[in-house]
Amino acid sequence: MSRTTEAVLVALAAALAGAGSVLTRLADGRAPTYDALMAPAVFLAAFGGLLVAVRRWAPRSTRALVPLAALLTAVGWVEVARIDPDLGRLQQWWLLVGAAIAAATLFALRRSGVGVLRRYRYLFLVAGLILLLLPLLPGSWPVRGISLNGSRLWVRLQAGDLSLSFQPGEAAKLLVVVFLASYLADRHRALTEMPRRLGPLRIPEPRQLLPVLLAFGVSFAVLVYQRDLGASLLLFIVFAAMLYAATGRVAYPLATLILLLGGGLAAHESFSHVRVRVSAWLHPFADFAGTGYQVAQGLFALGSGGLTGSGLGAGSPNLIPAAATDFVFVAVAEETGLAGGLAVIAAYALLAAAGFGIALRARDPFRKLLAAGLTITITVQTALILGGVLRLFPLTGITLPFMSYGGSSLLANLVLVALLARVSHEEGS
Amino acid sequence: MNRPLWRLAATALVVLALVAGGLTYQQAVAGPGYRDDVRNPRALADRATRERGPIVTAEGTVVALSEADTDGDGPLTRIYPEQGLYAHAVGYASSYFGDTGLEARYADDLRSSDDGSLTAALFSFFGGDLRPHQLQLTIRDDLQRAAAAALGDQYGAVVALDPATGAVLALVANPTFDPNVLASGDPAEGNALAADPEQPLLNRATAAAYPPGSAFKVLVAVAGIEAALVTPETLFTDRTELELPGSTAVIHNADGGYCADGTSLTLERAMAVSCNIAFGELGMLVGAGPLLDAVEAAGFNGTIPFDLYTIASTLPAEGLEGDLPALAQTALGQRDVRATPLQMALVAAAVANRGVIMRPFLVGALLDADGEIARSTLPAPWRRAMAEETAQALAAMMEQVVTSGTGWRAAVPGVRVAGKTGTAEVPGGAPHVWFIGFGPVEPEPGEQQIALAVMVEEGGNLGEEGSGGSVAAPIAQAVLAAFFAG
Repeated sequence: MSRTTEAVLVALAAALAGAGSVLTRLADGRAPTYDALMAPAVFLAAFGGLLVAVRRWAPRSTRALVPLAALLTAVGWVEVARIDPDLGRLQQWWLLVGAAIAAATLFALRRSGVGVLRRYRYLFLVAGLILLLLPLLPGSWPVRGISLNGSRLWVRLQAGDLSLSFQPGEAAKLLVVVFLASYLADRHRALTEMPRRLGPLRIPEPRQLLPVLLAFGVSFAVLVYQRDLGASLLLFIVFAAMLYAATGRVAYPLATLILLLGGGLAAHESFSHVRVRVSAWLHPFADFAGTGYQVAQGLFALGSGGLTGSGLGAGSPNLIPAAATDFVFVAVAEETGLAGGLAVIAAYALLAAAGFGIALRARDPFRKLLAAGLTITITVQTALILGGVLRLFPLTGITLPFMSYGGSSLLANLVLVALLARVSHEEGS
Repeated sequence: MNRPLWRLAATALVVLALVAGGLTYQQAVAGPGYRDDVRNPRALADRATRERGPIVTAEGTVVALSEADTDGDGPLTRIYPEQGLYAHAVGYASSYFGDTGLEARYADDLRSSDDGSLTAALFSFFGGDLRPHQLQLTIRDDLQRAAAAALGDQYGAVVALDPATGAVLALVANPTFDPNVLASGDPAEGNALAADPEQPLLNRATAAAYPPGSAFKVLVAVAGIEAALVTPETLFTDRTELELPGSTAVIHNADGGYCADGTSLTLERAMAVSCNIAFGELGMLVGAGPLLDAVEAAGFNGTIPFDLYTIASTLPAEGLEGDLPALAQTALGQRDVRATPLQMALVAAAVANRGVIMRPFLVGALLDADGEIARSTLPAPWRRAMAEETAQALAAMMEQVVTSGTGWRAAVPGVRVAGKTGTAEVPGGAPHVWFIGFGPVEPEPGEQQIALAVMVEEGGNLGEEGSGGSVAAPIAQAVLAAFFAG
């Protein structure tokens, strides 16, 4: 793929955002708004700018990353703006800010490369932990945690009349992945050897395991104190996958699976919000008006979409609670049908394939693990929310990368793409 | 490090493939079920905007149609030009109250297939017809009007059908309601209809069961003849009182006197004059087993397959065996026996159709938008209620009811009409009165027959003085006369 193709694809994504904005208005018999002009301009500025940054500071990077991110963001934005035009406009700002920060990341790493991140790994770990625990700040402080929908995973910054809410967990997941990649790159040999015995089990030196256990502990704390099932599961699975990638020991994912099942059962017994999720998953129609409502409305939307969808703007995604965030994929699948939904999944699969390709080609263990960790993060997050809304497993509230409304999420994922691009540049031939 | 990475990459892609499979399942396999789920608000909105075909009677009277509002876009209004006349036969389609009756049962055929989807557009492109079908009823508008007029404002029901095919010719229930109120009126008025203690929304022809009174004697006679215990010539002692063994209860005849000359009378005469004492004795003679056999062969204790919702007519078997007083009272259509007007019309139809009950139906054909028949209902036998010889014997006995018995008011000059009256006592109230019958007896080849049941609650206009012969038979006569005149 040449640089020109890449630019054309980004332009196509921008055109798609504009065309989608026009279509969703026309479908309701209303005139297009100025969003139809603003959206392509914003997308061109954001992803065109990011493309320029990539060309300058990571010229040998894998080409597919930015166009895929642009496509997914555009599809998501059309649906978000169609569900709530105000959120759509806000999301445009987030997109500009996110692209700028992603470009800034590339700029910052232009000389030193991603290797410099290893130097600050414990800083990242501490920062990640603080960010994860930030929502627990008391409600009376200027920077304070707030609860939304029973989960405490938001932080609100209040300075006079100005208030800004963000989900620190999204940034934390990046920091934690960088830390783990760096830590495991140094210690993977020590963790691969399992000199000690615990009954019939062989385990590595406990000293080596300590940070790993700490990471697991934190993710469990996230579940218990913030009631954030999605983020906790994401962290759990990403840790396990990265441990496996570093050591090649199946024991790690196996142990995680057992922990996960045990933890899941314990959580099911102890936390009512977990029980509610599980029963809504198993029997969404049993308590149709109550706990099962969201899942059931999602299924109605999917069923009504059918193979080819109702057409952009012609569906009723507003009937689904959280249609612009957790359920944005369902809204897309209602309006563009199975055809559109499968195309979106294919785009995520391509992104995953590109990411794993970068990891496989990388020679340096840190870069290898960093690329793998970032790719696993985005893939697991995608699978968690899609599997949840599709009733493959219980619904865990987490954003769909690039598509859901949400500044923190979009920002974090754009930086993630920038990091992947930089790794592929450094390891590219 | 690459081996685990390859495995992780493969796992990730497999998981995404599973997600794609999940999406395919929810949208393509389970999807149609979710789309049509009544709790899916999209279905409601869709119902209100999609074109809906008309419902017409056998000769083309329009009884339901849809009209767009002035700008031709947006919700369609369902209109019922005949208001209450066809309300219980057709039901209503309402985006607020939902659909009932034929409007619910044939909703998929009545609605346009154009759901705005690409699939529908492709189907149409290749010559498929997306336009809604129309329903053609078997009801004859003149008979429906005659039945409604004869019933007047009395509460009750009339069901008339062609015994040879099962095609329903008239179906009226009173009190009725204006379906336009439910389809497009103020929801408060609709709620008031539903809450009305007179229950105007209750279809008394198919969804309400009453003690059939002496009309039930037809089935008691069938049971006796089929069990080879009696013939129409069998003699019964003519008495004024029948003391029921093992109890203090006593059965009298309707007027308290003799049924004939005070010596004896045949079963045929007992049927004609509706002799309670003779039938009380016959009930005890027949016993629970043969009686239940005959009654269930006619469709009691089971569900009648029909286009409208029906409830079962019942004769509970418990405690009947060996309980002679219960058997005697049951034989008079009292005690625990309950029948819907539709069921009793089928009893008359069984006698008319040489013992076979045809499956009753209201929708003769589905017509496409051009008026061509897309699908028509083929007459099919439902069950054999009695042997052909039994039916012939019953027909002769029931003809006596009209020529020289209690049902004389149902007679139509120049036509051989058969029937049976019923006057079911209701403790502390006026009796529910019945007439079931058919004509002509022994039709010429090719001549159409009609069988019917008339039921009027609480004696109708005559109240406590009302009887099957004085209240129900004249209504039947009006319908029969309209049938033979038409």
